[in-house]
Amino acid sequence: MNVLYRAADRPAWGFSISRYLRNIDWILLLATLGLVFAGMAMIYSATASDPNLDSPMRYLHAQGVGLGLGLILLIGMSLLDFSWFSGMHKVLYGVSIALLLATMVFGVERMGARRWLVSPVIDIQTSELVKLLMVVALAGFLTGGVELRHRFRFVALTVVYVAVPAFLIFLQPDLGTALVFVFFLLFMLVGWGVEWRHMVALLSAGVAAVLAILRVLPTVFGIQLLEPYQIQRLLAFLDPEKDPTDQGYQLLQSKIAVASGMYTGKGFMEGTQTHLGFLPTHHTDFIFAVIGEEFGFLGACALLLLYMVVLWRILRAATQSKNLFGSLVCIGIGAVLLFQVFVNIGMSIGIMPITGLPLPFVSYGSSSLVVFLMSVGLVESVRIHSRTALYGGRFRGESYGQMAN
Amino acid sequence: MLVAVGLLLFAILGFRLWFLQILSGESYEVLAMNNRVREVEIEAARGVIYDRDGEALVENRAGLSVAILPMDLKNEAVVVRRLADVLSIPEEDIWSKLDQRENDPYREIIIKEDVPEVPVVTYLKEHSLEFPGVTIRKSYLRNYLRGQFGTHILGHVGEISPEELEREEFRTLHAGQRVGKNGVEAAYDSFLRGESGSRQVEVDAVGRPKRVRGVVQPTPGRNLVLTIDADLQASVEQAIEEGLDRAHAGGFKEASAAAVVALNPRNGEVLALASYPDYDPSVWVGSMSHDDYNLLTAEDAHKPLFNRAIMGRYPAGSTFKPFVAAVSLKTDQFPWTMEVDCDGDFTVGKQVWKDWRPEGHGIVNLVEAITQSCDVYFYTLGKNFYKQSGPVLQNGLREFGFGAPTGLDLPGEYSGRVPDSEWKRDAGETDIDRIWKTGDDVNLAIGQGDLLVTPLQLAVASAAIANGGDVLVPKLGRWITDAGGNVIHEFEQEVRRHIEMNGEELDAIRRGLLNVTSTPRGTAYGAFRGFPIAVAGKTGTAQKIPEDDYAWFMGYAPAENPEIVVVALVERGGHGSSVAAPVVRRVMEAYFQTETSPPKDITATE
Repeated sequence: MNVLYRAADRPAWGFSISRYLRNIDWILLLATLGLVFAGMAMIYSATASDPNLDSPMRYLHAQGVGLGLGLILLIGMSLLDFSWFSGMHKVLYGVSIALLLATMVFGVERMGARRWLVSPVIDIQTSELVKLLMVVALAGFLTGGVELRHRFRFVALTVVYVAVPAFLIFLQPDLGTALVFVFFLLFMLVGWGVEWRHMVALLSAGVAAVLAILRVLPTVFGIQLLEPYQIQRLLAFLDPEKDPTDQGYQLLQSKIAVASGMYTGKGFMEGTQTHLGFLPTHHTDFIFAVIGEEFGFLGACALLLLYMVVLWRILRAATQSKNLFGSLVCIGIGAVLLFQVFVNIGMSIGIMPITGLPLPFVSYGSSSLVVFLMSVGLVESVRIHSRTALYGGRFRGESYGQMAN
Repeated sequence: MLVAVGLLLFAILGFRLWFLQILSGESYEVLAMNNRVREVEIEAARGVIYDRDGEALVENRAGLSVAILPMDLKNEAVVVRRLADVLSIPEEDIWSKLDQRENDPYREIIIKEDVPEVPVVTYLKEHSLEFPGVTIRKSYLRNYLRGQFGTHILGHVGEISPEELEREEFRTLHAGQRVGKNGVEAAYDSFLRGESGSRQVEVDAVGRPKRVRGVVQPTPGRNLVLTIDADLQASVEQAIEEGLDRAHAGGFKEASAAAVVALNPRNGEVLALASYPDYDPSVWVGSMSHDDYNLLTAEDAHKPLFNRAIMGRYPAGSTFKPFVAAVSLKTDQFPWTMEVDCDGDFTVGKQVWKDWRPEGHGIVNLVEAITQSCDVYFYTLGKNFYKQSGPVLQNGLREFGFGAPTGLDLPGEYSGRVPDSEWKRDAGETDIDRIWKTGDDVNLAIGQGDLLVTPLQLAVASAAIANGGDVLVPKLGRWITDAGGNVIHEFEQEVRRHIEMNGEELDAIRRGLLNVTSTPRGTAYGAFRGFPIAVAGKTGTAQKIPEDDYAWFMGYAPAENPEIVVVALVERGGHGSSVAAPVVRRVMEAYFQTETSPPKDITATE
């Protein structure tokens, strides 16, 4: 604990621009920007031919604004010493819950879900922001409980700690984002060094809970925790041809789009599934299908490669972090990214259910873009401020080997 | 460990992408194609039908059709009800057409053709949201330039029937296409039809066409040039009506149907062919209304759909005598110089046959017997034929083409009937009826009894007398031409068989026929008096008890070098001499463009 506080005591502004530029992870930054620009190209392709649009650049403008704001926040975050947040986890947690409650009360319903807080300046999808806030808060919470690692009660408390905001998001309803919480919780627990028996107990309880929600509660007690459409969505991917009109239709059309791209795709702006409107929500949830259709297997693999680079740099930052808090933040951010990439792309190619999770950096939507750019800023901060410490000859902190192997 | 999870998840994605895009890409490419590419048929323009001089008789005109594209049809029960209402057709009609859709939901099904633009089409367009799946398309419709004209020759087109679709000749067609149903439209369908093309259209998710990917232009149908002379045909149709008026004026009020065939005895070309009553063929354009159909099939309409010239079943009456004479001479029964004393009666055993002229014709030879249409002379021939072994008369008659279809290029021709002992054995109802008796040959010799001929058969047989023995296959099709008018196929003259006839004997028959119109003793002298061109012919007054007599005339002209053979029949018109012969004269006047008219009152002879 002392180590951590010592690190936080060091002033955040004590180094030069040149050192900052030298320490920044350019690979991470460039890979991220590569994803964003690829995404914007695909958004343009997906929407430019929409006859309902006043200008073909409309979506691109909105996404550009998100990019600008996100870059400012990215740089801001990277300048701050991340350790500063570690003591703020209670505040961040409080803000998260407050935002979600506010969304519940004042939120605007769009397409059947109350996810948006609307202000004259910007509309925020609060769950996107809360995802990042909760990663940071949880990192702080876990760091504070390092000595309680052997206590299952603390582990259980951690679960509850994450479950509260996750449940509020689930109620919006937004099952996909709620599941993101489960995923980064598990990753961060492992990164934190949870004991294996605790982990096994947690996973068993989780499986039991899922079974209870899906089978026991509806049949025995008549309680329907999941909306029928959510279950339908979850199951449609198993056999999309069975129901080619609705959920299944979206999946089938997406699969057709991706698969018909073959090796090199049909070419930019040439995707027939995209441009003739067969592909649903092609600029948001199914943006990957546009890439698959227009740039084929090569394009899709290039995109996956960019994501792998980004994840590699994030996990590298986790191992290089001067303290546990930084590592956990990076692991959490990496987990969110990995989960969303896998679920979103998996959905487009028919191996994961439709959840409505955006593809990080690529899907249209400023909330998601800004928050993911902020996340990258935070990762940069972990790297920069750990390196400074390293080169400055300071104590690097404990090595938390679990995540490094 | 976390890195391992990450790598595993990426490996899963990569593997799946490889499976989808590389391994199954091609089959999904097909799915993507099917999603967006629709094939829209482009109808081929049907060939134009011309008369022998190049006057267009049937052309195409553009019309609007209401169709349904099954795959876009939503809320069918409601849409069908609304559509039936707007088109004023029964709902069942639409449902029965929609039954074809299982074949291909992308293919439009034509519900009604020739729909007026105002108000129906404009209404459908304005309310298109209420009619999902209902489309308007342009189609070619037949345009009959002379209106009610040549009905039974031209025929009509209609949607191909399920039965027709099974047939080999239509194997490239599909439901909803139109084919010739009758007349030359049917006989020359394969030439006239053409081949439809298609337009590959890319559509978006809601079916709106976005761009045309490719077009296969339709091949327009070939044009058909008929042997028909349109002006002569018009004169024929007019002459028939005049003939009916004449019959009515003569007291034969029941006369209401008739047929005329005019052909060139040199090559078998049909110059005119008419059946009365006829109707305006344009009633078939679009979908025939129930009212029209009821009118055409009504009891008192006298079957206008029926082509009497080739399908009618008539006793030939005395027009048959020249052929009986020819067979008798050819088989050397008697010399042409043989004379018969006609006292008005002919007796075989206890049975007595009367001549049409009660007092008889006195002593007649073959020439006179034909000229005066002496029945007793031919009774004598008939009785003699009965004595021969085998169907000598029948075989001879069949050589002239009786008892078999002539082979005219129109569908539905009746074969006629030349009765013989074999036929009678099968057809007779009682034992006594099954026996071929002397009387049967006697009756056959004057074209009565169980004999049935069509006007066309009589014309073909007459042409054989006129041309010296060639039994021709009559033809309506002359040439097939392409869009530029170039002849790409010429239908050749066909001779079914040649009947060898002794010149002197044939000359005797021809002289008899010429005298019919040119000597006062002749039965058609009155009808042809004053006609400047020598006509050879024969009257006939066929009995079909209990109806009024059927009036016949067959004639050819110029007698020495015949160019045209005309046969006229007026059902229940009474006498051939006073009703049918004037019809033939009218036709000849039109053909030779002479201006004289037959005298107003013609004494009915035979």
